[in-house]
Amino acid sequence: MLDPVLIANAVVSGLLLGCLYAIASMGLAVSFGMLDVVNIAHPAMMVLASCVIAALCAPTGFDPLLAALLIAPVFGLLGAGLYRLYHLYFERRGDEAMQGLAFFFGLMIVIEVSLVLVYGADQRWVETGYGGLSLGLGPVGLPLRMLLPALMSLACIAALLLWLRRSFTGRAVAAVAQDRDALRFLGADPIRIKTVAFGLSVALAAIAGGCLIVVQPVDAHSGHVFIGRVLAVVILAGLGSLPGTLVAALVFGVIENVTATLFGPAWSPAVAFSLLLAVLALRPQGMFGRAHA
Amino acid sequence: MAHDALVVQGLDAGYGAVRVLHDVSLRVPEGQIVALLGTNGNGKSTLMQSILGLVKPTRGTVRAWLDGREVDLTGRAPEEIVDLGVVLVPEGRRLFRDLTVEENLVLGAWRAAARREISHNLRLCFETFPRLEERRRQRVGSMSGGEQQMVAIGRALMSVPRILLVDEPSVGLAPIIVKQVIETIGSLKAKLGLTVLMAEQNFTQAIRIADRGSVLVHGSIAFEGETAESLRDNHLVRQFYLGT
Ligand SMILES: Nc1ncnc2c1ncn2[C@@H]1O[C@H](COP(=O)(O)OP(=O)(O)OP(=O)(O)O)[C@@H](O)[C@H]1O
Ligand SMILES: [Mg+2]
Repeated sequence: MLDPVLIANAVVSGLLLGCLYAIASMGLAVSFGMLDVVNIAHPAMMVLASCVIAALCAPTGFDPLLAALLIAPVFGLLGAGLYRLYHLYFERRGDEAMQGLAFFFGLMIVIEVSLVLVYGADQRWVETGYGGLSLGLGPVGLPLRMLLPALMSLACIAALLLWLRRSFTGRAVAAVAQDRDALRFLGADPIRIKTVAFGLSVALAAIAGGCLIVVQPVDAHSGHVFIGRVLAVVILAGLGSLPGTLVAALVFGVIENVTATLFGPAWSPAVAFSLLLAVLALRPQGMFGRAHA
Repeated sequence: MAHDALVVQGLDAGYGAVRVLHDVSLRVPEGQIVALLGTNGNGKSTLMQSILGLVKPTRGTVRAWLDGREVDLTGRAPEEIVDLGVVLVPEGRRLFRDLTVEENLVLGAWRAAARREISHNLRLCFETFPRLEERRRQRVGSMSGGEQQMVAIGRALMSVPRILLVDEPSVGLAPIIVKQVIETIGSLKAKLGLTVLMAEQNFTQAIRIADRGSVLVHGSIAFEGETAESLRDNHLVRQFYLGT
């Protein structure tokens, strides 16, 4: 029953799927994991980007992955503005726990309703020149509609990690995650740093949206299936660990895919989320999180 | 005689309805070390934070003499005050535990004037604390208390301070390390011509490097000693620190 080629294919396409999960989760790992901003509208923002990209690319034939890179800065600016509002009305008043969550939940609904109003309830899709092509690695197939978004995802994540480690502002983002107010002793404004980082997290949602629309068609509510997954990935990784988020996303993708291959797709969420619970029972700080005193 | 680099005048400050500092006046002459003495809860940290703009005073002024001109610090944002060269080594060190020694140090160079001199100042830090150079890639959270205090002082040096505020550098350290840390602050003052205000409960160590001292009791300056001897002879100091 265990056909090795079948398993190998399931693992490889699981890894490719995991790369999509990684880019979808990475922005949330920044906002929720590092900045303590529970942006549950993140998947909706990703789907918003998918729809915008579909609207730009379907009629013109422009490449959706390139389009994602182009709209990412716009999303970043919107995200920065959004964080300022959130800070002004919730965070600064110490209301972020429940009311902040409600704010992002409301935002998610607004995005979804707007998408239905503007684009209708139908699925959106972009034809790409490489949509039907596939690279063969022996008996293992690498469909380009999965491979190219995966590569784009990995490249963006690498750039993000490099920026966080090497640039001045990037290191301040890592610092803000650990001791927000200590930055003030250095003359840095933590709110400004958080604004930049949150903007970046929303820009990542745009990149993820570009990857998503290449992988599969979306509708206004496609974000829903991602909410549980991206939260699970970010928590599984250990809040705030970005390399951990990448690994957790890949693990999630592989487990889902292998389970689907062996036992049928209905089982994959059950197995994947059982894994989350098991990891949290054994390591409450997540796979890569550090236990803090 | 040196003119004053930092002058606090008639300062009232606190948290919400709680007033902690009452009419505090204090001056730190340029190039000198002033020890701010006082036991737990008397308002040393509150005074430090008020100077840095983290606690907003309700009355009084904080003025500094920087680059040959007088600057009123009262009511300015901490970012601005640090940018002017007034730098605090905070109580409890407040390092970024998951970052490396070097990353912590380099973050100290946030202010514009400091960014141009990062490599020079990094060398200065490593000369001052050779241990930090050996451990530059180590995660700060895994270092000993003494090593962390070195990082905290080093991080402040990276900001190129003109006026250095140090809040209880000796807390939680073994006596021998306390001695080293205090001596280092003394030698940095001499080497860099720093003006230093240092809150400290370890009177015997603090007084070894301090040019003068003020005793804070219940949020007011209870005694100002112009010399180490006058402090040693003061009854408050004897009562609180020397047990006589
Ligand atoms: N954030 C705060 N909110 C409310 N009250 C505070 C706060 N920080 C300090 N206080 C109060 O202000 C008073 C002075 O505290 P402060 O920390 O300035 O004393 P300290 O001299 O630095 O003491 P220690 O030597 O223990 O550090 C204390 O009564 C303390 O409880
Ligand atoms: Mg204190």
